[in-house]
Amino acid sequence: MLRADDLHKTYVMGKATINVLSGASISAEKGEFLVILGSSGSGKSTLLHLLGALDIPDRGDVSFQGQSVFHRSRQSREDYRNREVGFVFQFYHLLPELTVLENVIIPRLIGTPALKWLSHRREAKKEAQMMLERVGLSHRVKHRPNELSGGERQRVAMARALINKPTLLLADEPTGNLDEKIGAEILSLLNEFNDAGQTVIMVTHDVRVAACAHRQVRLTGGKIESVVPTRPSPALA
Amino acid sequence: MYKWFLAWRYLHTKLIAFFGIASVMLCVAMVLVVMSVMGGFLDTIRERSRGLHSEIVLESGTLQGFPFYEEFQKYLETHHEDVVSVTTPVIYTYGIFRVPATTYTRPARVVGMRLKEYTQVNDFKHGLHYEHYFPGTTHLGMQRMPLGGVDAQQKLVLPADLEAANARWRAEESDAKQLADYAAHPYEIVMYPPSVVLPIQGERVYAFGDEGPGYVGPEKSGVIIGCDLLNERRPDGNFNRHLARGADIALTLMPMSPTGNVTGEPPVRLPLRYVDDSRTGIFEIDDLCIYVDLDMLQHKLAMDPQPLADGGMTSARVNQLLVGLRAGNDLEVSKAVVAAAWEKFLLSLGDQLSMADERALSFVDVMTWEDLQRPFIAAVEKEKVLVTLLFSLISLVAIVLVGCVFYMIVEKKTRDIGILKAIGASAQGVAGLFVVYATAVGVCGAILGILLGSVFVWNINDIQAFLASLNPQLRVWSPEVYSFDKIPEIVKTWDAVGIAVVAVLASVVGSFIPAAIAGRIWPVDALRYE
Ligand SMILES: Nc1ncnc2c1ncn2[C@@H]1O[C@H](COP(=O)(O)OP(=O)(O)OP(=O)(O)O)[C@@H](O)[C@H]1O
Ligand SMILES: [Mg+2]
Repeated sequence: MLRADDLHKTYVMGKATINVLSGASISAEKGEFLVILGSSGSGKSTLLHLLGALDIPDRGDVSFQGQSVFHRSRQSREDYRNREVGFVFQFYHLLPELTVLENVIIPRLIGTPALKWLSHRREAKKEAQMMLERVGLSHRVKHRPNELSGGERQRVAMARALINKPTLLLADEPTGNLDEKIGAEILSLLNEFNDAGQTVIMVTHDVRVAACAHRQVRLTGGKIESVVPTRPSPALA
Repeated sequence: MYKWFLAWRYLHTKLIAFFGIASVMLCVAMVLVVMSVMGGFLDTIRERSRGLHSEIVLESGTLQGFPFYEEFQKYLETHHEDVVSVTTPVIYTYGIFRVPATTYTRPARVVGMRLKEYTQVNDFKHGLHYEHYFPGTTHLGMQRMPLGGVDAQQKLVLPADLEAANARWRAEESDAKQLADYAAHPYEIVMYPPSVVLPIQGERVYAFGDEGPGYVGPEKSGVIIGCDLLNERRPDGNFNRHLARGADIALTLMPMSPTGNVTGEPPVRLPLRYVDDSRTGIFEIDDLCIYVDLDMLQHKLAMDPQPLADGGMTSARVNQLLVGLRAGNDLEVSKAVVAAAWEKFLLSLGDQLSMADERALSFVDVMTWEDLQRPFIAAVEKEKVLVTLLFSLISLVAIVLVGCVFYMIVEKKTRDIGILKAIGASAQGVAGLFVVYATAVGVCGAILGILLGSVFVWNINDIQAFLASLNPQLRVWSPEVYSFDKIPEIVKTWDAVGIAVVAVLASVVGSFIPAAIAGRIWPVDALRYE
């Protein structure tokens, strides 16, 4: 379903050039829970950003459902970000002026033309409410992000990532900023969504966190190195 | 859609938006105040200018005047009765004005007029002071000095005809404020010189002479004096009158021959009586002009028919012929009619003209009141444009400020913009968000600015009165400078609408650069911010 081929990414900082990715290739199947492991600074986030089309590779391409992500119009790439991918960040990245419910709704709002929105509003609200219920936050809809704990914020971020029912959920160290217990809750939520059929690609440097995946890959030296199956993936079975 | 939603959110959760709104508001208010005051000033000047002369004026640009005006008056009467309602001649000359009682001396522009006709073609009558409170008592003919005083009940008593006139005015005046004003200051309106009546206990209250109220002194021709020439203007716009009605005035004139030669005879001294003061509302006029009877002046200046060496008589001369139009006649069309009539009239005079007359007639122009006042009005018009332009330039600050405010917002919101892009917002969408935001700031600022500016203009005179009560130096609108007692306080709807539209456009333009920057933000770069 998702294939990244020979991705290259180099950052130039003054005289120094940092080859973050040099020919990374990876693929994920539908329904799979894939974890990308790697030490800090190895380029995991960079890779995940490329998969989610938040950045453009110097070389190589990502194809999604057989179609190139980078050889298409900007607008269709924006649609890809809006509909096909849900992103969960390490630092939650919620919009502070909006309430929890509004934060969850915003991807839907972005993806809907103004006129259509008027008729669609109620439905979207209901879906957002349901999404929040699934992450266990239905009682905090009116709160602002800064009134929530880190774990709660990450749940909101997950609800936001999933509101448009994306094919792909990309999570960049979603537990990196949380303590073990709360992190475990987030992971079990991810598992729950994955069990319901959601494809998940998660980045982490924590081997214990990686254990919940179907499959682990390791990013070293700008390449995907070893592939460690953890538990049988439905896609491989 | 999310643009509107987020713009709305940012508008009332971001304090910085209020700085944007405030700057737009202040600029809008400022420009509106300037435009309203200057526009009101211009309108008043126009209005006053219209009432200064008459609709159409035949004027000879030279002091010795022009002859055959009476014949032309008749000509207009018989041929253009449908257009012309009244015509009246006017003489202009210069003289030295002197108050013998105080030896106060000033140069003066002397206007010879027939008061009854003159007041039919313009607003001169509205500016007369005593005529207002004692209607029908101001005339330029021969008259004596009225003498009044207070009776045993300390009540002001005037000669019977003045009392009757005043009673007439009181009966007809519907403006309670005017009546109250008169009741509060009757002695200011009719104040008698201490040399004639005796003050009681140092107050401005006077006792009768032996005869009681009546008229004293020899008969003299009346003179109306420009209010600023004689009186002292108080800060409230009214006047302190130090000279009693009927006081002696001396005027010295220099007669001129039909060719403009000052005759060899000694200057003419005219003994006059101060009968009223006139206020046209234009300081340059009220500080210079005095008005006397046309026929008397014409005679004294030897502009009436004079015997010629060969036995004939010269024709009487005046400097202006005021032509009042019948209602409903277009000004420019009527001007063309009168000008054509003048040409025809000149032809009909034939060969009988002397060289001097021909010369004098060649100086005559037919003008409308607008033509006559154009230099003056044009100057004020330019002033209005200039000041509005200046303040609009200052208002560019608002654009820059809006730009700064938005740049700061974009800076602060870089991460949020990255988030929006990461979840699928387009570059145009994010840029549009800021343009919508700017529009909202512009609209709010414009509306508030219009409100603030309007309230300010509506109360501008009270505000000035308040400032002046704190410190007289703060009185910015001096009647001496602007010829009006009150600052114009009318806001024109279209001024307000125009300014508001420009302000909104300016805000939008101010947001373009920050919006473009926001549109170009790259999601990953933005998300690095933590
Ligand atoms: N915009 C950029 N400019 C310069 N260097 C960058 C940029 N983005 C990333 N890098 C560099 O690329 C390398 C990989 O960064 P990346 O964030 O992908 O690492 P990571 O594996 O996610 O690390 P961590 O586990 O700490 O999150 C780092 O050395 C980082 O400094
Ligand atoms: Mg990272």
